[in-house]
Amino acid sequence: MIAAANKPAALRIDGIRKQALDTGRNRLLITGVVLTLAFTAIAGRLVDLTVFKAGGEPRLARIDPSPLAPAGRADVVDRNGVILATSLPTASLYADPAKVLNAEEAVERLVELLPDLDHEELLGRLQTPSRFQWVARNLTPKQQYEVNRLGLPGFGFQRGERRVYPHGRLVAHVIGLTDVDGRGIAGIERYFDQTLRAGERLKLAVDVRIQALMHEELAAAVEEFSAIGAAGLMLDADTGEVVAMVSLPDFDPNEPSLVGGEPAFNRATKGVYEMGSTFKLFTAAMALDSGTVTMKSGYDASRPIQISRFVIRDYHAKNRWLSVPEIVVYSSNIGAAKMAVDVGTKAQRTYLGRFGLLTPTAIELPEVGAPLTPAPWREINTMTVAYGHGIAVTPMQMASGVATLVNGGLFVPPTLLKRIDRRPVVGTRVLTPETSDQMRKLMQLVVSNGTGRKADTSADGYVIGGKTGTADKLAGRGYQKKANISSFVGAFPIDAPRYVVLVLIDEPKGNKNTFNYSTGGWVAAPVVARIVKRMATLIGMPPERHLEPAPESLLREARAATAATRATPTPAPKAAAVNAEDHMLNRVRAVLAAGTPDAAAFAARPASPEPQPGHPEKALATR
Amino acid sequence: MMDLALSRGQLTIREKLWQIHWLFVLLLVATAGVGFAMQYSAADGRIEPWALRHGVRFVAGLAVMIGVAVIDIRIWLRYAYTIYLAVLLLLGAVEIGGYMGMGARRWLDLGFITIQPSEMMKIAIVLALARYFHGGSLEDIRRPTFLAMPLLLVAAPTVLVLRQPGLGTALMLVIAGAAIMFLAGVRLWKFALLGVLALLAAPIAWQRLHDYQRRRVLTFLDPESDPLGAGYHIIQSKIAFGSGGLSGRGFMEGTQGHLSFLPEMQTDFIFTMLAEEFGLIGSLALLGLYAVMLIYGVAISLSARSHFGRLLGMGVTVTFFLYVFINMAMVMGVIPVVGVPLPLISYGGTAMLTLLFGFGLLMGVWVHRDLPIGRRGAAADD
Repeated sequence: MIAAANKPAALRIDGIRKQALDTGRNRLLITGVVLTLAFTAIAGRLVDLTVFKAGGEPRLARIDPSPLAPAGRADVVDRNGVILATSLPTASLYADPAKVLNAEEAVERLVELLPDLDHEELLGRLQTPSRFQWVARNLTPKQQYEVNRLGLPGFGFQRGERRVYPHGRLVAHVIGLTDVDGRGIAGIERYFDQTLRAGERLKLAVDVRIQALMHEELAAAVEEFSAIGAAGLMLDADTGEVVAMVSLPDFDPNEPSLVGGEPAFNRATKGVYEMGSTFKLFTAAMALDSGTVTMKSGYDASRPIQISRFVIRDYHAKNRWLSVPEIVVYSSNIGAAKMAVDVGTKAQRTYLGRFGLLTPTAIELPEVGAPLTPAPWREINTMTVAYGHGIAVTPMQMASGVATLVNGGLFVPPTLLKRIDRRPVVGTRVLTPETSDQMRKLMQLVVSNGTGRKADTSADGYVIGGKTGTADKLAGRGYQKKANISSFVGAFPIDAPRYVVLVLIDEPKGNKNTFNYSTGGWVAAPVVARIVKRMATLIGMPPERHLEPAPESLLREARAATAATRATPTPAPKAAAVNAEDHMLNRVRAVLAAGTPDAAAFAARPASPEPQPGHPEKALATR
Repeated sequence: MMDLALSRGQLTIREKLWQIHWLFVLLLVATAGVGFAMQYSAADGRIEPWALRHGVRFVAGLAVMIGVAVIDIRIWLRYAYTIYLAVLLLLGAVEIGGYMGMGARRWLDLGFITIQPSEMMKIAIVLALARYFHGGSLEDIRRPTFLAMPLLLVAAPTVLVLRQPGLGTALMLVIAGAAIMFLAGVRLWKFALLGVLALLAAPIAWQRLHDYQRRRVLTFLDPESDPLGAGYHIIQSKIAFGSGGLSGRGFMEGTQGHLSFLPEMQTDFIFTMLAEEFGLIGSLALLGLYAVMLIYGVAISLSARSHFGRLLGMGVTVTFFLYVFINMAMVMGVIPVVGVPLPLISYGGTAMLTLLFGFGLLMGVWVHRDLPIGRRGAAADD
């Protein structure tokens, strides 16, 4: 009974125990499986994080937008591939004031690293409710690292790029510059802003080596003559390529915040100046080309031209009849004026227009000055324009016009971009090749026998031909006696010109070495000589062993011829027309009304028809 | 059988020492060695201030562990509630007199030592619950009212820990408690019911969470929403993992830790440093060490003849697992950031002593595996 009663109970207990044990074991195993699964999941996550998310940069880095410089602004290089402008990636520091924990402390520590920051100003901006404030632009990698190390919350870096001009001031007026946001604001940078943004590299015609020596020589001249500025141009005579272009004073495009005012002004393309005697080249060319005169023609330059109370005088007065070559070589205002009257006003305008002197140059720069031309254009204007007064043009126009004179008579628009393979450029014929040949001879004579002797480098084997120019600057009511524009424009080698050179010095002061002269012959011509000598060796132009002697025979023959015709004077200038005085008074009034301050101020003006530069009386009296 | 059991209960200290699972101890030493190396690296190649103390604590903890292991397991059964109550009191004392550290009131200064009662509670609750369920029959367990006591045992410290606040520890207490109840045979529908209740209580709990805790949960859902604030750790941590790659940057070569992108990396975020310096291979090796220890833990528990031994062993094993799992899941962004250290690797005295004390109990279970224990705690076969 006991056993019987016990047995089921024992069995029952056994059953329960067994069940409990089973449950316990099962659940223990289940727990073990769960732990295993959990560990497997951990291991899987580990693989995922370490291997499949290689690099591990968070999403943050990828959504960081760089809207300012998405593609990267393209480089600008010179004709030999030297980099003139390029872009470097940089980081700029910004702050989200809402996330800055302790503005005072943050500013304190930032100013230690970046001493340029203004403590108070930055603190003020960080305490505004805005969500974005620039702190410092274009940090160096070291600065970025240091700032990062501070671990300041609320500050971040914006990736951007910085425009760098490795040559600094050297090509400043050609390249121009970009603003802090990478937009072109001057020069090539502005003219080709879209192209450069699109990532298209620009190859300029400029040769940075020639640019450098021209820059150096001009700067030396500005220094020597205490000038207020200068402009220099070197053009390829056949292609119109601008091989060098300098304007002084200049600026450092790497410091955009400091750029402005006078240094930002491009004298070479935007400055508009009365060029003076260099214009006589055009007068002689049009007279010869139109058949008005021959090399043997002559004009009576024995007396100044008197038009009522105005007088046209010669600076290098010979007080006799002068042949056409002599008029150019000795720079006779009287002769040029008389010659121009013979050519006629209409023909003069047509020729000047074809030389590109009456319309703004179509060059790839936003800074282009419009010429100031006479309006109305009467005979008196014809006479003054003949020797470069009463008309103001840019140095670029002048150089381009002279290229036409010497290259066989074709006008080729100047360009800052390199032409490919010197492919024959389609030019507009202005002069016959014969006239161009005569002009080269005349220009050679100016250097060998005339006012441009200081530009003579024939001793070194390089023959320059050119013309000097000196013009008093306008000031208020008239011309300034003490302030002038001295220039020399020339070409070399003159027998087959490859380059046109122009040097213009603004307000040079004569010194002991120049016997206090500040004329183009004394100031600008030697600069051209130095530039040519240096650049010839630089570009490997061999000196000519057997120099063609200057065609002095031209002078002699012409003089003999004019002496023979002395008895039959060429028609007297009709300049003293009845109304001449009225014209001039009107002109004076117009100038006064406009209050033209100086030549540079003209640059900012719209093109003709505008008040004339030039006080007629003074204009007539200048050389 | 009886003889054997009795003789097991009467093992000499020497015999017990012989019984200790020395292979397991070797695993512990290896893991702690990794910890030492990481602490050395975290201090930029100096054994001060962390590595040396880490080692000293481990050696001390090892001694404690062996001491705990050789003490008769019935003694632990007898004093389970006492220990639990003592730790609960300490936890209460923290509430009143603890001092703040890193934004939470967790430490208690006893004059000669500062302790974290919340860490100790992780073992104390295992002891208490193991004893409670050891004393209950299967019928008892089926009675819902029988569960009131263990729920209270878990709830009391959980509330106190939450108030510190310590989200991670509370989580561990609840999960470890649930695991022991599950192992003890509590019906699954009751867990389901509790789960539903917990879900219903969640909005209220959300309301009561501290701002920083709420932010952590939100940040967990989208770490990049606050990259410099609450999401900072996780983002930097993930960067470190990616930086480590397959084979790591090399010992002492990690950038995230050494360049101070990860503040306080010697504690809870030590695993990221290890992952960066030793890569996937190193991380998996450590995970492997932990896995082997866990397998030993489960095997030891299975081998125990007594219910108490089984529950105690599994409780310790689960607690250990939770340390590892929560820490790793946290640093890898699987769960929100909570303060749970990585066993034997992270710097921290109380956590290490707690863990080694727990392993001592586990070892005790192994040493006394053949000892059946009666409901009252005496050696008996019922």
